[in-house]
Amino acid sequence: MSNSIDINLSNENNAMNSLQFYWKAFFSSGKVIEQFENGIEHRFQEVKDDFENLIKFSLVNKDYSKYFVVDLEYGFILHNNYNLNNINFEQLEQKNNIRLIHFRRHFVEIGTKDLKEKSHQIIYFLGLQWQDSEEKNHKIILQIDENGDFIING
Amino acid sequence: MAATFHWYESNGAGEVEEADISNINFGSNDSPNLNTTTYPITRGDASFEKYIRALFTGTWTEISNLKFWKSAGAYVTGEAIKAAANVVYAQPSVTPNADSDVPITEGAALAIQSAEGENVIEYGASGVSGYTGYIRLQEQTSGSTPAGAVNSKEFCMQYDEV
Repeated sequence: MSNSIDINLSNENNAMNSLQFYWKAFFSSGKVIEQFENGIEHRFQEVKDDFENLIKFSLVNKDYSKYFVVDLEYGFILHNNYNLNNINFEQLEQKNNIRLIHFRRHFVEIGTKDLKEKSHQIIYFLGLQWQDSEEKNHKIILQIDENGDFIING
Repeated sequence: MAATFHWYESNGAGEVEEADISNINFGSNDSPNLNTTTYPITRGDASFEKYIRALFTGTWTEISNLKFWKSAGAYVTGEAIKAAANVVYAQPSVTPNADSDVPITEGAALAIQSAEGENVIEYGASGVSGYTGYIRLQEQTSGSTPAGAVNSKEFCMQYDEV
């Protein structure tokens, strides 16, 4: 009898799905770094290296029809110009020590016969954390799927 | 673009590593990409252990929160896949090992570290190879396992990248 298992991985093993959202970082000096620029890919490390001067961070899809902007000066998030924090800008709460949250979570399914990759889903995490005037920590995180649909965790 | 990874399998007493494996078929031989018809598992026996690991290449800053679990593929009677993460490579054995069943949910998934035992794989850092730790897998059967091929399985690898 045969009790063997066929678990096929990809010939290329894990061909990276094209990213649906790219990041763009804006600094107080006027410097702007785009993830993809002039045919090269910038590493997020370049943003980390100048974190203290980062004032805005955005995720933009390929045709610029969907974008998310984290404002690190005042601590709010915009989605296509819509303010997601429900902030009354005239009564903006004082936020201290505002920090960016950003990473991509990959779910790569391998297996099944003759398929290179069963699926490869990417969720974009974007948000910020801060301290209020009583030094309590807060955070708000968007989980954005590849279609730009999102949920808010805070 | 961004990070990508390739699967590697190690075999033999002296660890011969096969890059870009095309499958992780379990069988009665210690070899990569094995033919299950040539090397079937006898009912009641276990397969040779598989030592696999991923190598990240491409452009990234940090990779973390690596998890591995079986996401699909039903067992037949008496069948189990055993798994352990971040193990030290040893010559694969056909003796049934005492590893736990491979997790089947993200919540219970195996936490995979870097080959260097870190929770974060940092791009270009000194001493960072880009490899994950080894994942050891073994197919185990029992006397009640029905004859014939078992169901194909799917595994999910999760990781956070920035």
